[in-house]
Amino acid sequence: MPSVSFEHVSKRFGDTTVVDDFTLDVADGELLVLVGGSGSGKSTILRMLAGLETVTSGTIRIDGRDVTALPPRDRDVAMVFQDYGLYPHMTVRENLSLGLRLKKVPRQEIDRRIAWAVGILGLESLLDRKPKQLSGGQRQRVAMGRAMVREPKVFLFDEPLSNLDAGLRAQMRIEIGSLQRRLKTTTIYVTHDQVEAMTLGDRIVVLADGRIQQLGRPIDIYRAPANRFVAGFIGTPRMNFLEGRIHHEDGAPAFVAEGLRFDVPREDVASVGAVTLGVRPEDLLIPSPSDQRPSTVTGRVVLVERLGGITHVHFDAGPHRLMAALPNDTAVTVGDDITLGIRTERLHLFDADGRSHL
Amino acid sequence: MSTLRRVGLYAALTLAALTFIYPFLWMISSTLKPPFDVGTLELIPDRITLDNYRTMWVRAPFGRALLNSALVATTITAAVLVLGSMTAYAMARLRFRGQPALNAITVVVLLIPGQLTLIPLYTLIVKLGWIDTYAALIVPYLFNATAILMMRQFFLQIPHSLIDAARMDGMGEMRILFSIFWPLAKPVLAIVAIFTFMGSWNEVLWPLLVVREQQLMTLPQLLTVFALGGGAGSLGVSLASAMVLVVPVVIAYVFLQRYFIESMAGSGTKG
Repeated sequence: MPSVSFEHVSKRFGDTTVVDDFTLDVADGELLVLVGGSGSGKSTILRMLAGLETVTSGTIRIDGRDVTALPPRDRDVAMVFQDYGLYPHMTVRENLSLGLRLKKVPRQEIDRRIAWAVGILGLESLLDRKPKQLSGGQRQRVAMGRAMVREPKVFLFDEPLSNLDAGLRAQMRIEIGSLQRRLKTTTIYVTHDQVEAMTLGDRIVVLADGRIQQLGRPIDIYRAPANRFVAGFIGTPRMNFLEGRIHHEDGAPAFVAEGLRFDVPREDVASVGAVTLGVRPEDLLIPSPSDQRPSTVTGRVVLVERLGGITHVHFDAGPHRLMAALPNDTAVTVGDDITLGIRTERLHLFDADGRSHL
Repeated sequence: MSTLRRVGLYAALTLAALTFIYPFLWMISSTLKPPFDVGTLELIPDRITLDNYRTMWVRAPFGRALLNSALVATTITAAVLVLGSMTAYAMARLRFRGQPALNAITVVVLLIPGQLTLIPLYTLIVKLGWIDTYAALIVPYLFNATAILMMRQFFLQIPHSLIDAARMDGMGEMRILFSIFWPLAKPVLAIVAIFTFMGSWNEVLWPLLVVREQQLMTLPQLLTVFALGGGAGSLGVSLASAMVLVVPVVIAYVFLQRYFIESMAGSGTKG
């Protein structure tokens, strides 16, 4: 039995449809990430599951039980909020225990759970502090502790790392991941950050305009995005897109765009009209004697960003601006002409509707 | 700032402060002077006497009036805080049909001067048979648009995630209001309490209209009737009765001035 099921769930505010016919099963113990831009409906889905937002139509089940009309406290879920949602006038201990006290959990049991949670999260010395005496990372841990002590069936995370600086965000991301693996509690994690989605999720749901664009394991989505939106959203640096056509010349398919032409030696490419070709920056390579590629693209370098480990080279091929992620020792400067090989086996083609063609 | 400028500034401020405080000090001192000395401008009485207070206490039921005032002002203040914060919470944080209309009506109520509603309200009280009752003094003041709007404005600044967290913790709306919002809104609640209490405590016109029985009169009303009606007999006695009116307000201010100054400074430094 799935831990959480959404069955044709929709949410409308007046005439605006925020979530449209959302259907999804989340397995027991799974960490599922909902990822999308603002307005994609990801937070609304989470809030409907929490009971903080009503459902316009459809059914939500937790462990098979219909919870669609239940108030939050009766759903056995716990949530971690973006700005933590800690009660400023209460100490850490009071913040952690309030929900349990309201549920009339016995005193000893409350103490046991708090001791367990603060032990895991390293909050022992902070129990008598108020939230404003804590750092961002500590507040985040308290918020997680508050969710943990409830021992819920499902953890909900609503962009929990957005308020933290980059270094802390990476650290907390790792902590959340290892915590989830340790507790094995079903977790639904909402984020706009595709790095968080890729690194944390057992599976990812990519959302746009209240609809599921793609559902799958992170690496599968990365390798085979279902449509142009997903291709552009998942992966850093972003995929390059070229508008053009596929021609079959002497039986061999070729991609032709303004000022640009290269072979696409693949048998699975049928002749179609207008297409968008997608190529990830790491699939553009400096040709070497051992790696000669028949398909190449040539352009003039307009910007070189040296990140240390790799170098991002932006170049113009005709009217098209492309970017390649090259090794850090690549000797190029602005104004150079470069010719890069294309890993044609990793190309993506999208038809006029944006759907994947391969 | 140079020493000279600072001296100048302090001199000006001291002068201004004296201008405000002198009449008050003079009033205190005059209540302690024998009848002949009351007219003088001196602040230190040659001879101190409590005769004025004794006379006042004997001639009119000031003790009872003090109780009446305390009862009326406390009830109104409590109601304005409890009912007002409930209304403000709903206006700020709940979604319901007619909410924009409610917001608009509250602002409109604020714009209507009290004098305008005096006569219709009086007629209503007469029809209800509430003349010479506490209800006439209390009920018309139970809701206060200014207080509601002040509290609503403050509640809007409290992050929504706190309400979400409280709901996840299993709290109902009332509990969220009184155990989450109230502790956070202490400064604004204190301000509303001070203004409501002082407004109610000092109110003269309305009690004069709806209460004629001396046993039900509030302190300022009795004072007005007593002093203007010639019951006091001397300036010293009049001033002594005024002191009885002022002292509770001053005491309240001393206790709550921290919040008072905070709100006047308008700083957004809530934790």
